[in-house]
Amino acid sequence: MTAKNVFKTAELMKEIMKNYNQAGREAKSEGIPVAWVTAVFPVEIIYAAGLFPYYPENFGAVAGAKKVTHQLSAAAEARGYASDLCGYARCGIGDAYSDEHPVGKILEPDLLFCCNTQCGSLPKWFEVAGRFYDSPYFLLDSPRVGVETDQLCIEYFIDQLHEMIGFIEKQTGTAFDYDRLREVLSLSNEACRLWNEILDSAALKPAPFGFFDACFHMAPIVTLRGTRAAVDYYRALKEEIDERIEKGITAIPEERYKIYFDHIPCWPKLRWFSDLFASHGALVVASQYTHSWAYSFDLERPLESLAESYTHEFVNRCFEYRVNRKISFMKKYNVDGFVLFSNRSCKPNAFGLYAKSRLIREQTGLPGAVFEADMSDLRLFSEDQVLAKLEPFFEQLKSNRTNKEG
Amino acid sequence: MGGSTNLEAANTHLQAWACSYSRSSLARSLEGKLDFLDGLIIPQTCDTMRMLLDLWQQIRPLPYMENFRLPRQVDRSSARKYLLGELERIKKGLEEFRGSPIEAESLHQSINLYNHNRQLLRKIAYLHAHRPDLISSRQLYTVINGTMIMAREKVNRLLQSLTEDLEQSLETSGNGSRIRLLMSGTLLEPFEVLDFIEEFGGTVVADDFQNGFRYIEADVEPGRDPLEALAERQLNRIPSAAFDLEKRPRRIFLTELARAKEARGAILLHHTFCEPENFDGYDNLRALQKEGLQAMRIETQFGGAGLGQIRTRVHAFMEMVGGVIR
Repeated sequence: MTAKNVFKTAELMKEIMKNYNQAGREAKSEGIPVAWVTAVFPVEIIYAAGLFPYYPENFGAVAGAKKVTHQLSAAAEARGYASDLCGYARCGIGDAYSDEHPVGKILEPDLLFCCNTQCGSLPKWFEVAGRFYDSPYFLLDSPRVGVETDQLCIEYFIDQLHEMIGFIEKQTGTAFDYDRLREVLSLSNEACRLWNEILDSAALKPAPFGFFDACFHMAPIVTLRGTRAAVDYYRALKEEIDERIEKGITAIPEERYKIYFDHIPCWPKLRWFSDLFASHGALVVASQYTHSWAYSFDLERPLESLAESYTHEFVNRCFEYRVNRKISFMKKYNVDGFVLFSNRSCKPNAFGLYAKSRLIREQTGLPGAVFEADMSDLRLFSEDQVLAKLEPFFEQLKSNRTNKEG
Repeated sequence: MGGSTNLEAANTHLQAWACSYSRSSLARSLEGKLDFLDGLIIPQTCDTMRMLLDLWQQIRPLPYMENFRLPRQVDRSSARKYLLGELERIKKGLEEFRGSPIEAESLHQSINLYNHNRQLLRKIAYLHAHRPDLISSRQLYTVINGTMIMAREKVNRLLQSLTEDLEQSLETSGNGSRIRLLMSGTLLEPFEVLDFIEEFGGTVVADDFQNGFRYIEADVEPGRDPLEALAERQLNRIPSAAFDLEKRPRRIFLTELARAKEARGAILLHHTFCEPENFDGYDNLRALQKEGLQAMRIETQFGGAGLGQIRTRVHAFMEMVGGVIR
C-alpha cells in the first residue's frame, strides 16, 4: 500500500462507509435501534432483526489512525481508567465523558451486544457503556476452545443465541424472521468467500495485494458482512485485483520477501510500517487478524452454524491451536519470516507471544521478531524500539536469501 | 499462589504489564517453589488467567493442568446447563488423572467439610465485626487465607477451637468501637493495609475479595446432586468484576453491603494491570460516594506495593472518615 499505489476501489469503500455512517446517524430518527456489537460477533442476527449494528472498535481504530487516542483517553484516565487498558475502550469511554470529539461523537447505543471470543476487555467496556448510556446489554459468552471441536461450547452458544433472539424480540416487539436470517447468512458467505479469495492473492509472486492493503479494505467485511453492499464491494475489489494481476501491478515495487504478521496493525503507524517493510522489499502477506472473517454458514442449520463458526474463531482458541494456525499460514503463503506484535492493548494476543515465537522458529526454521507497542496509543510507541527489533530481522532475511542464492 | 517478590523471573516469558498476581505466581513456579504440586487448575476469570495456563504448560509443565472455563454471564439458564457440563468435564479429567472414579459420596463429604469450614469462618468474621478488639482485621483475613491452603479437616478443628475462645472472650468487656470500613477489590494484598487501617482507628467489617468474604459467604446446598449444587453456588456468588451480573450489579451490591454492615467508609484496592477491576472501579467508587460514604482507591501489587505511601493515604483517609488518630 504505497502512496502511489492506491486502489481505485478505495473511493468506493469510502463511499459505502460514508453511507453506512450516515445510516447510523439516521437510524434513531427512523425508529431503528442502534445496536453496539463487537467485531467477531454473529452480526448476521442483528442485520436479520433489522437493527443497525454499530462497531465501537472501529471508532477506536479510526481514533488510532488519526493519532488522537491519547486525547480521547484523557477523559477516561482522569476518572481512574488506567492508561494500560485497551486503547479502543479508553477511546470509547473517553468520548462518552469528553466535551471534545476529535473523530466525531461515538454513536450512542440503544442496545449493546458483546461476544467475548476476542477478549475480556470488550465486555467490561460494554458494561461501562451500558451503565453510562443506560441501555440494555447482552453478553454472548464464549468459553475458550482447545485444539479439538468443542461440542459443549457450541451447545452453550446455541442456547445463548436463542436467549439473544428472545431478548431482541422483547426489546423490539417483533418476531424474529429466520428466513431473513438465511438471506443475510447467504450474503455473509458470499462476502467472506470473496474476501478470502482477495487475501489469497497475496500468495502470488509478486503479489498484487498485501496485509496493509487488507487493513485498509477490511472495514466492509467487519461492519457490512451480511449485506449486499459488502458483496458488491468485494466483487469490485476482486475485479480490480484480477486486473492488476493481468497488468503486472504489484503491492510493492520490488517484492523480495514475504512476511507473516500478527496480529492487529498499529493503526497510527500503518503507513510507517507499510513503507518500512516495502523499503526492505518485504511484503506482509498474511495475518490471523485479517483472516478472521472466513465464515461459511450452513443455511439449513443457521444457529448451529453460527455457533460453530464464532466459538471456534482463532482468537478464542488455545496456545497450541494458534501456533499451528500461524504455521499453516506461513506455509500456505510461503513466507520468509514472521513478525509478532506484542500489543499493549490486547492481552489475549500478546501473552504467550515470546513462547510462540520460539516454538515457531524451532518448527519452521524461519527468522522472526517480536516487537512491543500499542495498536492505537502513540504514547506507547517508540520508533527506535521497534526498529531495534525489526532491523536485525531484515538483516536476517537478507542474509538467509544470500546464503540460499549463493 | 502469588506472592513472589522476584517478579523479574517471569519477565522472559510474560510481559511486565501482566498483573503482579500472574507474574508472581509464574515466578514462584520458575523458582521451583511450586514443584510439590501434581496439578494446577486455573479458573478463567480474566484475559490473563485465560492465557496463563497454556503459557505455564510450555515453560514449567505439571502432570495435570486444566482450565476451569467458568461462564462469564451467570443470570441466564444457559449458564447453569453449561457450567454443569464444564464441571462434569473437569471431574472426568481428574478421574482420568488419578485413575479412579470420584464417587458421589466423596463429593457429598467434601461439600459438607467445606461448608463447615465456611460456616466457622463466617462465625469468626461475625465476631470480628461485633468485637474487633477480640480479633483484628489482620488476624481475621490471615485466618481466612491460611484456611485456603490447609487441609480442611485439620483447619476446621483449629477454627472450632478459635471460635470457642472468641465466644468465651465475648463475656469480657472490651472496646468494640472502631470506624467501620468496607473494602473491595479482586484480591486483598498487601495485608499491611489492614494494619494501617487499625492503626488509625478503623476496622474492616465487609469486603468482596476473592480471598475474603467472596470465598466464605455462601455454602453448597447439601443433599442434592453434588455437581448441580456446586454449579448453583458458583452462579449465585456475590458479584465480582469477572462476571456479568445484570440482575445484581456490583456497585449496588457494594452500597447495600456498606449499609447493612454500617460502614462509614470504603477503600477500593486496585491491583495494577487488573483490567476487570479497573473497568469497574470508577462506577463503584461513584456509587459508594453517592451513598454518602467516604471512598478512595488505592493502587497496589504483589511484591512491589509502596507501603509507606499506602500508610500515608490510609492515615489521611481515616482522618476524613473521622477515625481516631493515635
